[in-house]
Amino acid sequence: MAKAKPIPDLSCETAYAETAAKVVTVRADELTEHARGVLDTGDIERVHDMRVATRRLRAALEIFEPCFPEGSYGQTLAEVKRLADALGERRDRDVAIAALHNFNDQMAAPDRRGVASLIEQLRGEQERANEDLAPLVSEESIRALRESMDELIAGARGAAS
Amino acid sequence: MQSFAPRALAGKTKAQHDMRIAAKRLRYVLEVTGFCFGRPADTARRRARDLQDILGEVHDCDVMLPRVRGHLEEIQRSDAKAVRERAGRAPDLDPRLAARAQHRTAYRGLDVLAVYLEARRELLSDRFVAFWRRQEETGTWARLERAVDGHLERAREARRTAKAAERARQEAEAAERAARQAEAQAERARLDRERTVREAERRREQVERPR
Repeated sequence: MAKAKPIPDLSCETAYAETAAKVVTVRADELTEHARGVLDTGDIERVHDMRVATRRLRAALEIFEPCFPEGSYGQTLAEVKRLADALGERRDRDVAIAALHNFNDQMAAPDRRGVASLIEQLRGEQERANEDLAPLVSEESIRALRESMDELIAGARGAAS
Repeated sequence: MQSFAPRALAGKTKAQHDMRIAAKRLRYVLEVTGFCFGRPADTARRRARDLQDILGEVHDCDVMLPRVRGHLEEIQRSDAKAVRERAGRAPDLDPRLAARAQHRTAYRGLDVLAVYLEARRELLSDRFVAFWRRQEETGTWARLERAVDGHLERAREARRTAKAAERARQEAEAAERAARQAEAQAERARLDRERTVREAERRREQVERPR
């Protein structure tokens, strides 16, 4: 799992709204960076990293809620949540498939068939989860989300000055 | 997070789920704010992540177990239906038909998996209880609370000091204003006195002027 990036130039004396702008900028950058290659089911850590990035971003948005313009805050938070939910659906299948493979590898060959059929079922769900996720992680969607985020950051900077 | 502990430790699934979510929130809040509270926050953040991991695995078992049982039931029901159809108009069912059921070799693996998940859930639950007790013994959450309370107390003290300084400044300003007003009043009184003297002198001169 990717570690949270440190927030530069932050101190206990930094004003709340200024802190909000700084934290959300870094967390939004993390989200954008992790958006690449998430649809690749061959590397399940990518979805995980992006999901964690959405959680960190959501946490930051919730902590600093009073610093953001009301309307755009609610809308952006809902967008991030929608993305997080879609990533979660994919991630749940990724984890289950990996765990079942791991279990089945320890079983004697004649006993593997049942779990293999369950894995097959989960593969279908993983594919559908990927289809639902695809439009949310397209370059266009990520760019739009980033713009919404920048609007919030600008709002927080305005509140700080 | 701590409010869920009594029920979560008693094995209540919903409380364990709620505690996992609360641990996640604590972890991410501390990722942003922890630097203000020092080492206790750093430790608490790492322990919240560990707790989230353990309870996450418990949750995975809770989700997977009914799914495995459901899948097993589904293929057994489908086999039963197929075996019945194969029996056709026979007066009774030949056990050899069931022994050749399409998914018969899949049952065992799923049964073993269900047993594995149930046992693993128990093991993880025990690990969770031991982990939580250890944090209570070592005072992970208590030290975080003390660090946060200390920070809040210092911030309150700083605000009190700033307020007192502001009050003193305002009082000094008011005193200065009052001194200026008194000075102006004294000046006005002096001018009045001079005017009165001049007036009295003018009258006296008028009286004394030869007619």
